[in-house]
Amino acid sequence: MTLNRRQFLRSSGAVALTVAIAAPWRAGNASTSATANAYLRFDASNRITAILPTSEMGQGTHTGQLMILGEELGVEPSSIAVELPIRPSEPYRLFFGQMRSVGSYGIRAWHDPLRKAAAQARSVLLLAASDRWNVPLQELDAVDGHVVHASTNRRLAFGELVEAALALPLPADPPLRPASERRVTGRALRRVDTPAKVDGTAVFGTDVDVPEMLHGAVRMNPVFGGAVSRYDVDSVADLPGVEQVVPVPNGVVVVADTWWRAKQAADALDIEFGETPNDALDSTRLSDAMREGFDGEVPAVIRRGDAESGLQDASRKIEATYEVPFLTHICMEPIVCTAHTRKDHVELWMPTQGQDIIRMTVERVLGFGNEQMTLHTTYLGGGFGRKTHGEIAEQAMLASRAVGRPVKVMWSREDDIQQGYYRPIMMARLRASLNQQGRITAMHAQLSGPQMGQTFEHITVQNNNDMFSVASLIDQPYTENFALDHRHLDVPMPLSPWRAVSSSQNGYFLEAFLDELAHAANQDPVAFRRAHYANHPRHLAVLNRVAEMARWDRPAPAGRYRGVAVVASYGSVVAQVVTLRMVADQPTVEQVHVAIDCGRAINPDSVEAQMRGSVIEGLAVALRHEVPIADGRAQRSNFHDYAPLRIDELPEIEVGIVDTGAPLGGVGEPGIPPVAPALVNAIFQATGERIRRLPLSRARG
Amino acid sequence: MVTFKLNNNPVQVDVDAGTPLLWVLRDSLKKFGTKYGCGRALCGACTVHLDGAPVRACVVPIEAVADRKVTTIEGLGEGGQHPLQAAWIAADVPQCGYCQSGQIMSAAALLASNPDPRDPEIDVAMRGNICRCGTYDRIRRAIKDAGQRMRAGRSGQATAADPRKSRA
Repeated sequence: MTLNRRQFLRSSGAVALTVAIAAPWRAGNASTSATANAYLRFDASNRITAILPTSEMGQGTHTGQLMILGEELGVEPSSIAVELPIRPSEPYRLFFGQMRSVGSYGIRAWHDPLRKAAAQARSVLLLAASDRWNVPLQELDAVDGHVVHASTNRRLAFGELVEAALALPLPADPPLRPASERRVTGRALRRVDTPAKVDGTAVFGTDVDVPEMLHGAVRMNPVFGGAVSRYDVDSVADLPGVEQVVPVPNGVVVVADTWWRAKQAADALDIEFGETPNDALDSTRLSDAMREGFDGEVPAVIRRGDAESGLQDASRKIEATYEVPFLTHICMEPIVCTAHTRKDHVELWMPTQGQDIIRMTVERVLGFGNEQMTLHTTYLGGGFGRKTHGEIAEQAMLASRAVGRPVKVMWSREDDIQQGYYRPIMMARLRASLNQQGRITAMHAQLSGPQMGQTFEHITVQNNNDMFSVASLIDQPYTENFALDHRHLDVPMPLSPWRAVSSSQNGYFLEAFLDELAHAANQDPVAFRRAHYANHPRHLAVLNRVAEMARWDRPAPAGRYRGVAVVASYGSVVAQVVTLRMVADQPTVEQVHVAIDCGRAINPDSVEAQMRGSVIEGLAVALRHEVPIADGRAQRSNFHDYAPLRIDELPEIEVGIVDTGAPLGGVGEPGIPPVAPALVNAIFQATGERIRRLPLSRARG
Repeated sequence: MVTFKLNNNPVQVDVDAGTPLLWVLRDSLKKFGTKYGCGRALCGACTVHLDGAPVRACVVPIEAVADRKVTTIEGLGEGGQHPLQAAWIAADVPQCGYCQSGQIMSAAALLASNPDPRDPEIDVAMRGNICRCGTYDRIRRAIKDAGQRMRAGRSGQATAADPRKSRA
């Protein structure tokens, strides 16, 4: 710290408590607990509480965020208690003006605001100690929850300084610790939420238990877009424990004294759904519709350079069409919400990634404003984009209002899979030209399928450019002459971001196609990519690292086949090499090497965990996950027909972290997109087959 | 009325015959560490021990539990200090954490019969437990570590320090 007190006060100017908000937790006794800013609260007993802006769903962001706060503040990260705000407000909003845990934002977007919040608090603590001891500010530091004056060997715990410190104006632009003082971030730290997750005490949304609470199970129209035409309450009225049958959009909630009884009654309920316009919807027809979408002129998204004349003039042109299915999220914790709806207030307990979505749902369903809602965000037993939606809150609020007591509504696994918000289907037609040297001279990519952005009111599709459809394709690194088109296809089922969103399919389209281009150019797939990465040092760095890890320069061992893919998404670049062998004509993945450049890795252990988890999920998805539709209904129901990888299918996974000095990138999602293309590219090496449709179980039978 | 022993304490519940043990644990006895994941014995999130053997509580009717011993994650180790829990913390296994009670209960049953399992034996014992976050490699590592702690009989020492404060 090099600022003296005079400079410090000048830099802080007249701005006082600009970050502080009128948050409800300040209603506590101010003499024992004080809010420094929206993210930090201190009390005289040395307890520090962080009010974190994102939900913990397994990505480890709470730990990473505490590391950022702890480092800047000068306290052990795991000593900081964690809370989430009980309703969304400005300081917690970073995604299109909303509080949401999405977009692999947890660390990369929150690093600077949290670091600054901690620096503000440290600044006034140092200032208070400087006053107390009458020593120059620059001789003080904050270490392990104390302000320390090294030359006189004096220490004061933060708690003893809090009252004086928080009476001072918070600096708008506090000095930040230089990189040379970093002792926490960049080193592996065990997660703060682990102990509660190994002894059964962590509270997930399913584990909420409030006085007088009843339980709800649902019965919904299995056809997307359908409603209820008739149901007979008498058919379940005499079943034990049943309280009420509450109508909700497209179904009912059966409320009983236990979930098991509610579920038995929901299954027994005499209910009719009637005809809907979507009764004949099926996947084959949707595939046909996407293919027909390429007919005629497909609406443009962007034009860069001159793709068309490049493609016309080229000596060699390659074209391929790819397709991906609907996917669902299968969070291990099913969809759940507990609500207590009162006359002019609603209290909610739920695992949500979308606190502002819940606020909007409350307003729509009950007409209540933000201040009439108290929202307790629990741990999420997985999120993956699924838990951003409000339908479960709506069901719980309506059920609670009807019975006048708190109600916990939980979906069964079948409800979860069959009433999902799906990762959209998509078809892509890619064309590219190669010159004599085997360089890509132009590329034209066309998408045909739903524009998910059209289903979100607050995020519009502009000039046919849907950010939920084009990521990792619109910014392809291979040629300056690039055209992208998209034909929107309306589908009646709800759509949702799913881990890595459109990068999950576009990474596959682009990198599977790149392998076809490398083959056409008669070049090694790694060498072919290298030749195109002259202006993409991060791509090159992760490709070189993964090639080294997988010993790509040597031939694969006998009977082993390798595929490579490199995809940039969420501010990070990830390269993967899949090594497999064929057993009875089916691929057995033996090894996956991963190299990621996510900028500086705040918690390398979490980065590694996310890469491993992404590979495991990505393999299950590429190998066998799809939600086919027939008769308007989802044709999957539970883990037997939508099966995640099990422990005996685990390949050996190695993760390398590359730091090229790039800004912080995301980690929760970028590991997904390279898996499928690296896998299908390895299968091409093994069998000569091009897998142009996922999953493999459908493409190969 | 059904009587059984839950984590060494006698309990008596008055529930509908046929109610799965899972819902007796969660809704009647408020033991929330045991999770619902599929309801069809496909995922293992609800794994508990019945007379020491791992079972999926979502498909065990309460009558089948009468006069028997049920152990849940809450009763596995005193204060969460079972060697498996210490090993789980050391390896920082969980991501979302929802499946981990079931994983640990399956692992505890494995180690009780085989204190030094190799990967194929771990896979056989653990393949009924889905982890959708993909923590499998750390699960394998933690099971081997716990086996070592148990064999060495020094689990107390190994967990004496707050593991959160040590770096991985």
